[in-house]
Amino acid sequence: MTFGTVSAAYIAAAALFILSLGGLSGQESAKRAVWYGIVGMALAVIATVCGPGVGRLLIIGPIITGGGLLGYYVANRVQMTEMPQLVAALHSVVGLAAVFIGFNAHIEVAHVAMHDAAGGSPLLGFAGILAHKTPVELAIMKVEVFLGVFIGAITFTGSIIAFCKLAGKLDGKARKLPGGHILNAGAFTMSVILLLMYVSGAGAWTLLLMTVLALFIGYHLIMGIGGADMPVVVSMLNSYSGWAAAAIGFTLGNDLLIVTGALVGSSGAILSYIMCKAMNRSFVSVILGGFGGTTGPAMEISGEQIATDADGVASALNDADSVIIVPGYGMAVAQAQQSVSELTRKLRAAGKDVRFAIHPVAGRLPGHMNVLLAEAKVPYDIVLEMDEINDDFSKTDVVIVIGSNDIVNPAAQEDPNSPIAGMPVLEVWKAKQVFVSKRGQGTGYSGIENPLFFKDNTRMFYGDAKVSISGLLPMLR
Amino acid sequence: MRIGAVKERHDLETRVAMTPESAEQLKKLGYSCAVEAGAGQAAGFSDDAYRAAGVTVVGSAALLIADADFIAKVRPPTEAEIDLFAAGKTLISFFYPAQNGDLLARAAAVGVNVIAMDMVPRISRAQKMDALSSMANIAGYRAVIEASSNFGRFFTGQVTAAGKVAPAKVLVIGAGVAGLAAIGTATSLGAITYAFDVRPEVAEQIESMGAEFVYLDFDNGSEDGAATGGYAAPSSPEFREKQLAKFRELAPQIDIVITTALIPGRDAPKLWLADMVATMRPGSVIVDLAAERGGNCDLTVADQRIVSGNGVIVIGYTDLPSRMAAQASTLYANNIRHMMTDLTPAKDGAPVHNMEDDVIRGSTVTYQGQITFPPPRPKVQAISAQKPQQKAKEATVDEKRAQAAATFKAQTKSQGLVLLGATAVLLLVGAYAPPSFMSHLVVFVLACFVGFQVIWNVSHSLHTPLMAVTNAVSGIVILGALPQIGSGNWVVVALASLSVLVAAINIVGGFLVTRRMLAMFQKS
Repeated sequence: MTFGTVSAAYIAAAALFILSLGGLSGQESAKRAVWYGIVGMALAVIATVCGPGVGRLLIIGPIITGGGLLGYYVANRVQMTEMPQLVAALHSVVGLAAVFIGFNAHIEVAHVAMHDAAGGSPLLGFAGILAHKTPVELAIMKVEVFLGVFIGAITFTGSIIAFCKLAGKLDGKARKLPGGHILNAGAFTMSVILLLMYVSGAGAWTLLLMTVLALFIGYHLIMGIGGADMPVVVSMLNSYSGWAAAAIGFTLGNDLLIVTGALVGSSGAILSYIMCKAMNRSFVSVILGGFGGTTGPAMEISGEQIATDADGVASALNDADSVIIVPGYGMAVAQAQQSVSELTRKLRAAGKDVRFAIHPVAGRLPGHMNVLLAEAKVPYDIVLEMDEINDDFSKTDVVIVIGSNDIVNPAAQEDPNSPIAGMPVLEVWKAKQVFVSKRGQGTGYSGIENPLFFKDNTRMFYGDAKVSISGLLPMLR
Repeated sequence: MRIGAVKERHDLETRVAMTPESAEQLKKLGYSCAVEAGAGQAAGFSDDAYRAAGVTVVGSAALLIADADFIAKVRPPTEAEIDLFAAGKTLISFFYPAQNGDLLARAAAVGVNVIAMDMVPRISRAQKMDALSSMANIAGYRAVIEASSNFGRFFTGQVTAAGKVAPAKVLVIGAGVAGLAAIGTATSLGAITYAFDVRPEVAEQIESMGAEFVYLDFDNGSEDGAATGGYAAPSSPEFREKQLAKFRELAPQIDIVITTALIPGRDAPKLWLADMVATMRPGSVIVDLAAERGGNCDLTVADQRIVSGNGVIVIGYTDLPSRMAAQASTLYANNIRHMMTDLTPAKDGAPVHNMEDDVIRGSTVTYQGQITFPPPRPKVQAISAQKPQQKAKEATVDEKRAQAAATFKAQTKSQGLVLLGATAVLLLVGAYAPPSFMSHLVVFVLACFVGFQVIWNVSHSLHTPLMAVTNAVSGIVILGALPQIGSGNWVVVALASLSVLVAAINIVGGFLVTRRMLAMFQKS
């Protein structure tokens, strides 16, 4: 294949990627959209492999096949509830690849420089592109290499920590080394100094030292962010992996990499923005970790939590005409989505109006609950987002809250001193009756007391969500 | 302690303040009960029925009053009756203290404690002893029945083999308890019912009973029914004119008019004037529930059924509850019994006349020789004050246009600034960077732009698939690693191979997971 053909294939691939993302605007078109992405990717890889300047096909073939098989295995084995972890793990992989490619670019630059000094034969491949660069272009390229490695390294460790937190291998609480953000800021400043040194020709050690620093920043930054903020973190890392790809694209002079990286980067950025908006927090305060300072003592909560049993919930459900279910991370943890789906099916069969209310930050990943419910075969047209359903709670007989806490906390509206004051929440307490399925009396991830649990029309339905909901099924008419 | 009920002396009164049933309940409170011989006769409760319920039947009112500590009655006592009381006894009955000043002074002089059933404050807790409401309910029902028996036609419309019958049209004026009861009865008889009230906030109640609310296009400022304990307040002359004009318009097509308009402490307002009666069809019926206080209709004569010159029947009965004595007595006796329950918190037959209690204080008009009327305002508001709903001020077309223009301007300004800034930065970069970098930068900036435009349209529920797909797509870094495998340096080849491997995992894994997820989304 000539250079021209490869370029044409790249243009087609870029267009297909844009169509692929655009197709996600609706459930039905999304099924087609994913094929656009697959075709685009195949086109890009084949064109590159067959294109000029790529050698050692004997190595490339088995590696791609091996990687593909591994990916296939992972994708088929993963549980839908483990989706957040998987996404985080895959992000780390992109970061790692970006770091390696950056290193390679550096090595090649050094190699070409030596080669030029020796005055040997014309160079092939990537080295060939490098050989034609002017000194200014080389300086710019060094910056790009540096940035690519920097972002890639942060993405790598950050995603690994996010993975561990989501998979429960690490405690979800926000943790920081003594020194806190000063450490991050220090590491960042040093990286900038190293960048300047690198550009002025200080050698490979600056790049390596910066990599170590960036790995540390990624680790420490994500360690300092609490579990409840994970949706923002995952989308942020998503964005980083895109920017890393774009930086690599600049280094290699590959427009398709730039386009794709920019698409992914802006996608992640927008998702982070949406998540932050849904929690009424600024992006900076999420990154700085933990909750911002409260301005005064929390409002006194009066009343007591009243527990109920499956009989009570079942009879209320039997009497109800309209039911709204509010799922949260607890439902994912308990793997209760199948029971919830069965409950929904039974209630709908009895002629009741059953709907789901999904808060934008429910779960640990944007859209997490939608995926779980879809897996359990809950029809997506009864799964509504906050803005669509929030006005309907006052007309609803029964609300079942399954494993959510902060997203139904009335303190966000009622208590100006609450750490989550001003966060948009689902107004479940306006319904006639609210049942909260919850493991115990403790507070949620954020550690904030929830006045909803103390309201007159709220009954606590303690126990593992899966067991509790399954227990309800035989009692429904 | 003994509670006694005397026989009513008023000619038209058939009710009695204690029924055998209520006596049973009173005994549970620890009281013994007595009744004057023949007291329940007119309401259908024989002396034997009382005896069977364990009530002592006493020969005369004087004996009963001398023996009992609490005396229950329906109508206000006469002065002669008051004189039978000894100091310290308690009388529970309708009393109308505002109209019966002399009687009130007499009762205080004698030293009898009077609990006026008509003074029970209108708060939720006191509804069970609100005798005015329970009597008004009966009056409203009976008013329709009286109208029906005087009206020569069906209420409901029918198409029969013998011909078509038009439904009767009923207008109920005043939607208090009596009005609402009348609406309910009239609609259930099949009539087309209209209702009017000066309080626009009752429109909902009227419509809930099945009648059509007659709207009056009049802005009467801040009328607040809650301020007067749920009763209507006198209206302004302009409003009255408007109201009468509406009635004049309706009068020719209305068959039955039931007026229930009363303003506390005043004569009934004249709302159905002689000229309206004159325009009504012959055979139409007017039932005036306000007859006792002068009547809402010009022609009303209290306690009389009269026929106007054009054949309209005007009924001014004031004893409608008495015409349903059994029902009225049952409810009234229950009201009294609930009052006794509140007076006997320990249920031990020892009454506690707690003047701190809103309900008891409000209804007590004389206590220990003192006149305690009018009572202070109750601590609990009668009806939750209905805040006049502040309608969001409709922006005029011009204002809307101005607003839109302003937002448009602000948007243009901010977008312009961003564009200007971005151009400046790009120019600056362009001045120094080599052309090859600039061409890539153009691609980068455009791609970011496209990304922002496209991603905003992604549906909320598809955010997880979006992340998975962008994740797979970011495996595009494989393109960077592939050419590097061709390098002559073995370190480069090794690192590049590793990169290709992980990127391949990412691509295949990412796309497959996305497909799995999307396949699950299904419509019901």
